[in-house]
Amino acid sequence: MALPNPALTQIPDSYKYGWSDPEQPRTTFAKGINAEVVAEISRIKGEPKWMTDMRLKAFRHFEARPMPKWGADLSAIDFQDIYYYVTGTDKAAQSWDDVPDYIRRTYDKLGIPEAEKKYLAGVGGQYDSEVIYHNIREDLEKQGVIFLGTDEALQKYPEIFREHFGTVIPANDNKLAALNTAVWSGGSFIYVPKGVHVELPLQAYFRINTENMGQFERTLIIADEGSSVHYVEGCTAPTYSTASLHSAVVEIVVKKGARVRYTTIQNWSHNVYNLVTKRAVAHEDAVMEWVDGNLGSKVTMKYPSIYLLGERAHGEVLSIAFAGDEQHQDAGGKIIHAAPNTTSLITSKSISKGSGRTSYRGLIKVYPGCEKSKSTVRCDALILDEEARSDTYPYMEIDEEDVTIGHEATVSKVGSEQMFYLMSRGLSEAEASAMIVNGFIEPIVKELPMEYAVEMNRLIQLQMEGAVG
Amino acid sequence: MTTATPSGVSATALDADAIARISQTLGEPEWLRDLRAAWWERASATPPPTGLEEEWRRVDLAKLPRDGALVMDAPELEVEMPQGLAEQGVVLTDLRTAVREHPELVSRFLGQAAGQSSHAHFWALAQAAWTGGLFCHVPRGVAVDGTLVAATRLASAAGTYLPVTLVVAEEGSSVTLLEEMHSPDGDAAWFGGIVEIHAERGAQVRYANLQQLGDGAWNIGAQRVVVGQDATVTTLNAEVGSRTTKFGLDVDMKGAGGTSRVLGILAAGDDQLIDINTVQDLAADHTTSDLLYLSALYDRAHASFYGVTNVRQGTKQTSSYQECRNLLLSPQAGAEPIPVLEIEANDILRCGHGATAGAIDPTQLFYAQTRGLDADAAERMIVRGFFEQVVGQINDETIRQRILAALAGRIGTTEGAA
Repeated sequence: MALPNPALTQIPDSYKYGWSDPEQPRTTFAKGINAEVVAEISRIKGEPKWMTDMRLKAFRHFEARPMPKWGADLSAIDFQDIYYYVTGTDKAAQSWDDVPDYIRRTYDKLGIPEAEKKYLAGVGGQYDSEVIYHNIREDLEKQGVIFLGTDEALQKYPEIFREHFGTVIPANDNKLAALNTAVWSGGSFIYVPKGVHVELPLQAYFRINTENMGQFERTLIIADEGSSVHYVEGCTAPTYSTASLHSAVVEIVVKKGARVRYTTIQNWSHNVYNLVTKRAVAHEDAVMEWVDGNLGSKVTMKYPSIYLLGERAHGEVLSIAFAGDEQHQDAGGKIIHAAPNTTSLITSKSISKGSGRTSYRGLIKVYPGCEKSKSTVRCDALILDEEARSDTYPYMEIDEEDVTIGHEATVSKVGSEQMFYLMSRGLSEAEASAMIVNGFIEPIVKELPMEYAVEMNRLIQLQMEGAVG
Repeated sequence: MTTATPSGVSATALDADAIARISQTLGEPEWLRDLRAAWWERASATPPPTGLEEEWRRVDLAKLPRDGALVMDAPELEVEMPQGLAEQGVVLTDLRTAVREHPELVSRFLGQAAGQSSHAHFWALAQAAWTGGLFCHVPRGVAVDGTLVAATRLASAAGTYLPVTLVVAEEGSSVTLLEEMHSPDGDAAWFGGIVEIHAERGAQVRYANLQQLGDGAWNIGAQRVVVGQDATVTTLNAEVGSRTTKFGLDVDMKGAGGTSRVLGILAAGDDQLIDINTVQDLAADHTTSDLLYLSALYDRAHASFYGVTNVRQGTKQTSSYQECRNLLLSPQAGAEPIPVLEIEANDILRCGHGATAGAIDPTQLFYAQTRGLDADAAERMIVRGFFEQVVGQINDETIRQRILAALAGRIGTTEGAA
């Protein structure tokens, strides 16, 4: 147990920039889902009627849709064996002793501060970052940037919220997105006004008193014309969760000439089914980039999508996946070209180790009339062990002649010559293969904010040493 | 539709009795009657595709013209075989004749192996209800010089024809075979030919299939290529005709050290839909399988390609590549190339795939025009060069010329329209 920051202990409870944890009414829901549960969640949150209606509509759609039969094996998910709404007080009841050993070991090896460990492990509140980030928030507010928890944003900015919520991923989208729409809670809401460039990457840490990385979190980002923002979700260090199903939805609207980058490093503990729908629409001259790293979870199915709706819009997906023993990372990206002169790039790097399985699954679609569109998809997979498996499912639907669309993929193992060379220079086998793997994923890691890149490289090294599960 | 006489039977009205009557009408021996009955049972037990399968999503099977009567009078097979080969024991004849003249050979191979995976129902149906086909057998150690050709010309556009082609190259033999299928334009028809190729240990097989069915035909063909130890097989499927083609191809790399080159060409125009699915199953050590499919799409034609490379667990040092390139030559043309990798082994020598879709590179067109060609002629030349890449790989002059001649028809007909 770490001592609290001595500076913080001297701050009076009423200190307005400090950590505050207002008492929430303890609400206990039974496991399982039905229309009453959905309506009750909305009622507790004090939501407007349109949101309650949308939740209920989404729930009916969730009920009617079959489970996806493709992709990873989801047969173990029992929707009636899940808590759909847990208040903060319930969560805080978790104990540090419940956190699996391998996660605690990883924290130690990564040198994660004690308070942050607990935060990551879901056993404490947010750590003492509030004061540090206060100035940044103040700066954002001056520029008119809204950065709030999604629940709070619905209360405070109902008009702009309603105008965009559910427009990118409607209530009747895929089964899991519909489930999220029915029971969502938490997540980030960002609005960047016209012409405003947010210089620092925004992270969920910045938010006051809102849950991060919730089970059914819902994020909505709107970048108004000519603005830019980089949002970072998650963290490289493992994140412990007792909930077996995580189904987030992220909607992003990139207006004319705006630019959004959304970076995710997903490292859920290995009991989690992580089934996420992420979609962005990019208008004229807009640029949307997904940087999507998947290291953790038992099963991940996630294909960040970009609809290029305006001329000259550009979309990029950088996807990196690491699957260790008994993990299945089914990830990729989708780009829909729906306007002329649109361009896109998908780069995927995946590594399968032990009995892990990585699958790249992607789609490039070009509608008729989208002339001069260009798209390149590049997938590379590294298979480290005999039991490991790698798949590539790159879908392409091209309905326009005047386009340049290309896809390329390779699958390889770590070459024995490479290993021999590195080991002849005095590296151990684990160090050598870690170095090769780090080199393999380097094109994506270099796109991460620096602190993430450093942690990512160390994490890969730990994985290669077999130090983590 | 009546089932009183086999000649009146449509494939949808078949039952066990009708299958037995086909066998009876063709005067077949008991083993074949039993074989057909067994395959009929399998066809009944294997439901037809529902359209939800990955391989069948892009074809509306409800439009398959199922009601045409089975073609009982199979057209005579036009066979070209260099002299002296018959003396060496090489057999190239229609399947019905082979049943009569080489029953021991035919019964050893016909219908003995598993079918092609995606078309399992149609495969079983053809094994049960075939009324014509091709049998090619090359005995152990015999090297066939020259090109064998077998052409089928259907007299009528209508009806349902489900022929079976069986090619067996025994150990250490080599053979080059071109199979052609023609039918007249016009009525809706169902062509469900299946092809099985066995290259035994060390055999070398080059097999080309030139499909020039009429513009009303639905081609629900399937092919299975079994590559034995150290055998080398090159297949080239050229899809030129038909209204709709839904073709399934499995290449089983089951012998260690085997090599396959899987080539495909499709030149489609008008409202043609050509949909190909392939499996390259690398199930043995040191196997190599390379696939190259090229399509040139005119008018409102649509090409789909769904190809799976499967490297099986525990295999060592396999090498594979899949390449699918699509030239879109009209604003209404479309392509869906989907090259899939399913890799369950880590000791791989090489594995990858590439797919492209797009118009002719404008710099190529510009270059050709600076050399004095007009735009149409430049396009034709580039498309021809595009196809030469594939056709050249089979390395046989007869096959090369006949396929390029068949392709010229497509390029020519679009000339006036363009």
